[in-house]
Amino acid sequence: METLAISLVNAVPLLAGVPLWTVTLLLMVAVAAVILVFALTFEGVGSLVLRKVAGDIQARIGPNRVGPNGMLQFLADGVKLVLKEDIIPANADRLLFKLAPYFVFVGSFAAFVVVPFGVGLIAADLNIGIYYVMAVTSLVVIGVLLAGWASNNKWALLGGMRAAAQIVSYEIPVGMALIPAVLIAGSLSLQDIVRSQGGLLGIFGWNLFHNPFTFFSFFLYFTAAQAETNQTPFDLPEAESELVSGYNVEYSGIRFGLFFLAEFGDMFIVAALLTACFLGGWNVPFFNAGTLPWIWGNLLSLGVFLTKTFTMVLVMMWVRWTLPRLRVDQLMRMSWKYLVPLTFVNLLGVSLWLLVFRGKGIPGMIASLFG
Amino acid sequence: MGLKAYLNDIVEAVVTTAKGMRITARYGVDPKEEVTLQYPEERWEIPKGYRGFLHNDIKTCTACNMCVKVCPIDCISLESVRGADKKMVLCSYDINIGRCMYCGLCVEVCPVNSLLHTSGYEMASVARGELILHFIAAEDAPGIKARVARQVAEAAVKAAAQAAAKAAEVPSSGTAEAAKVAEAAKAEAAKAAPKPEAQAAEAPAAAKAAEVPSSGTAEAAKAPVVEPTVAKEGEKKE
Amino acid sequence: MTIRTDALPTQEMTINMGPQHPSTHGVLRVILTTDGEVVTRAVPDMGYLHRGLEKIGERVTYAQYMPFTDRLDYLAAMNCNCAWAWTVEKLAKIEVPARAEYLRVIVCELNRISSHLIAFGSYTADMGAFTPFLYAIRERERVNDLFEMLCGNRLTYNYARVGGVSGDAPPGFLEKTKEFLDYFEPKLDEYNNLISYNKIFVHRLANVAVISAEEAVAYGLTGPNLRGSGVPFDLRKDEPYSVYPKFDFKVCVGTGERGTLGDCFDRYMVRINEMRESVKIVRQAVAQIPDGPVRAKVPRLFKPPVGEAYFRSECPRGETGIYLISDGTVNPLRLKIRTGSFVTMNIFEKVTRGLMIADVVAVIGSFDIILPEIDR
Repeated sequence: METLAISLVNAVPLLAGVPLWTVTLLLMVAVAAVILVFALTFEGVGSLVLRKVAGDIQARIGPNRVGPNGMLQFLADGVKLVLKEDIIPANADRLLFKLAPYFVFVGSFAAFVVVPFGVGLIAADLNIGIYYVMAVTSLVVIGVLLAGWASNNKWALLGGMRAAAQIVSYEIPVGMALIPAVLIAGSLSLQDIVRSQGGLLGIFGWNLFHNPFTFFSFFLYFTAAQAETNQTPFDLPEAESELVSGYNVEYSGIRFGLFFLAEFGDMFIVAALLTACFLGGWNVPFFNAGTLPWIWGNLLSLGVFLTKTFTMVLVMMWVRWTLPRLRVDQLMRMSWKYLVPLTFVNLLGVSLWLLVFRGKGIPGMIASLFG
Repeated sequence: MGLKAYLNDIVEAVVTTAKGMRITARYGVDPKEEVTLQYPEERWEIPKGYRGFLHNDIKTCTACNMCVKVCPIDCISLESVRGADKKMVLCSYDINIGRCMYCGLCVEVCPVNSLLHTSGYEMASVARGELILHFIAAEDAPGIKARVARQVAEAAVKAAAQAAAKAAEVPSSGTAEAAKVAEAAKAEAAKAAPKPEAQAAEAPAAAKAAEVPSSGTAEAAKAPVVEPTVAKEGEKKE
Repeated sequence: MTIRTDALPTQEMTINMGPQHPSTHGVLRVILTTDGEVVTRAVPDMGYLHRGLEKIGERVTYAQYMPFTDRLDYLAAMNCNCAWAWTVEKLAKIEVPARAEYLRVIVCELNRISSHLIAFGSYTADMGAFTPFLYAIRERERVNDLFEMLCGNRLTYNYARVGGVSGDAPPGFLEKTKEFLDYFEPKLDEYNNLISYNKIFVHRLANVAVISAEEAVAYGLTGPNLRGSGVPFDLRKDEPYSVYPKFDFKVCVGTGERGTLGDCFDRYMVRINEMRESVKIVRQAVAQIPDGPVRAKVPRLFKPPVGEAYFRSECPRGETGIYLISDGTVNPLRLKIRTGSFVTMNIFEKVTRGLMIADVVAVIGSFDIILPEIDR
């Protein structure tokens, strides 16, 4: 961000008198605003796409009255939520009740900072990218627990406890499944991970095809991430038909809207990490987007990244509408007895592979055979 | 749990999930699988015999009260007076379709098939009173009663005159029977006589009203049986 | 799941799985006493839908009572209509024409299919898979279309009458029924592929709420709940009524294929298989149906002889028995309705002890209860 600020000051002589830190700060705020707009738009459109996909799978039409083909439904929903009465239960803990949605939303939104949208499009290329994402998305646990407790409702409490148990247990497989990508790239920074999948191998440069263990860890991460974002088959905390919406049962209006939006934000983060770590991120096959002028290179890589990410979001929705949900003890069993051992075995496998084959993947070895 | 069972679990989970996802994918991409009928632009074709709103053709209705008696929840109420030809004349006929459960028992028992189901099913209202269908407008009832009373009185006068004429004709030989007939005729004449006087006050005032409802009832009767919208207009005119 | 008594002592929580709950299949209130997620006691509180149907029977005539039986179990209204008709005919010894009996069997079995479709759909929706519910509704709408063509209504049919049925099948009805059966039979395989044998679904249902055959008989369970525990008792075969002896069909019994015999999965599979058998029955009925009148002559103000009769029929949710006492007047003296769902609630408390809350939902769904039958 500093370099960008410096180049901006150099480009625009008007800003010569302004101290650098002001420009940097303003730039940061501007970038955050852009990302917020993107995140909110995605979350809104994502809720609409979810309903349309649900309609298609369930042999019916989704929303199609508001706007052409129902495209403005999310705006109508947003306006409706904002205009609703703000009901806080009588004996609820008011401060915690009001605070909880913000924790959940911040936990989801703060991870957008390290998402590599394009060649030069990343809000902050932290050198601890993956750590940061995992740490920040854990804020959601606090939010959910607060929501469950502060609602003064036994169903909400049950939902909150279940959610906390679930999210905490699935943190480990999520982390372990992402580490193969880190090992191959040699860095925690997401831009480095994406760049390591670029090059002349095109699609086969993706981490997905690097070796059988990373192929496996793609699916492990997908499963664990589906649990992290409370999607069916792991949506116990908000099990509509059992807990009557779990921890957000007492929330109405825009407070509920924040929980709802945060869910889609989480979905995007998960899909973005999947794309960045396993599907080549913003790399255009057989083409170095850095060679194009700045704006076209960024647009092209942004387009590629978003296409891949949205495809992964669609796959998550597809799985959501197919499977029933797991009971809470089965969910914990799945995490601790299946995913954790599998991800550890996977990690061991990747490490051994990289040691034995000196960091080369299968496509790389085949390519080197042909020179 | 052995390793074999463990791996079997994983494989089975993946395979059954994949099978299910294949089915939902097919539904997701196949546009023929949308079965939604977009009401109100598209409407379901109502089959013949559909038990929609009720309609009574009051010209055919004989006010036999069968429908009133058979309704399990007492939604039908009617009022009738005996006419000059000894048949009942309908003064008012109300069906509360807000209470009605569309069981069809009343239509089944109607001996003259005047009460029938239409294919109507749309009558959202804001007040429960709007859901009471009046097949004869409320203000027509006194007029009908007056008209019928007048006709009955005229018939009675005519009958008395006929009986008197008959009594005069009968020869004095069959005295016992003739005396009885003459007395019966005189009794009838006496009975019939006060009626026109009683109704005389009402008759001129109601006579005018009696002319108007005939058009109203004719319109309600004109409404065809199977078209709900036309019938609705005819009935809601109050 | 057992509660460890040597663990840290915790307080029990009393939760109200209240009348308004998406999974209780109606207005059923269950008062759960739980230790965390494990239920120690689940007491059903019934009566939110009590409408006094048995008392109403005492003030209306026999013919007028028919629409009220629709509301007894609105998802299997034809079965309840026919049960009432058969009871009155048994009391008054009325002979029903053959065509009417065949039509009754056709509509009863079609209604069994549509009722089991709702049971299947709402069960999977309770388990979190929302998609099969809509497929089930789509199939059910086609059955409703057939019924609309036949009697004019889509839910409260009022089709059977004392002495027959209200009207003959219109031209094209039998062909359309055959078309529906041809369309529907492969769908059952699709449902099995989609959800029935899905590992997650099986794990939710297998070994949950195991009811042994002796227990099932002792608690008076009937219908698919009894057959799911391995007891091959079906009133259509063991105490045949109407023209059921003329049809060849299997009695579907739970086999313990994915867990223990008598668990939720067995009851669920019994319903899926029963749909297949119903398709077979309707096919045979449509092929064998004779011509003739559809209604016997019954006097308008029907006065049965003094006496009492009990008739039981196999409804989708169990045995629906109507005990009718007549005193020779146009209104019944007393009628008592015994429904499968009400008696199934007997075993609810015993079976849910030690289960998790999510399993309570699975148990309610596997019993396929419906509140109008419980509360009448």
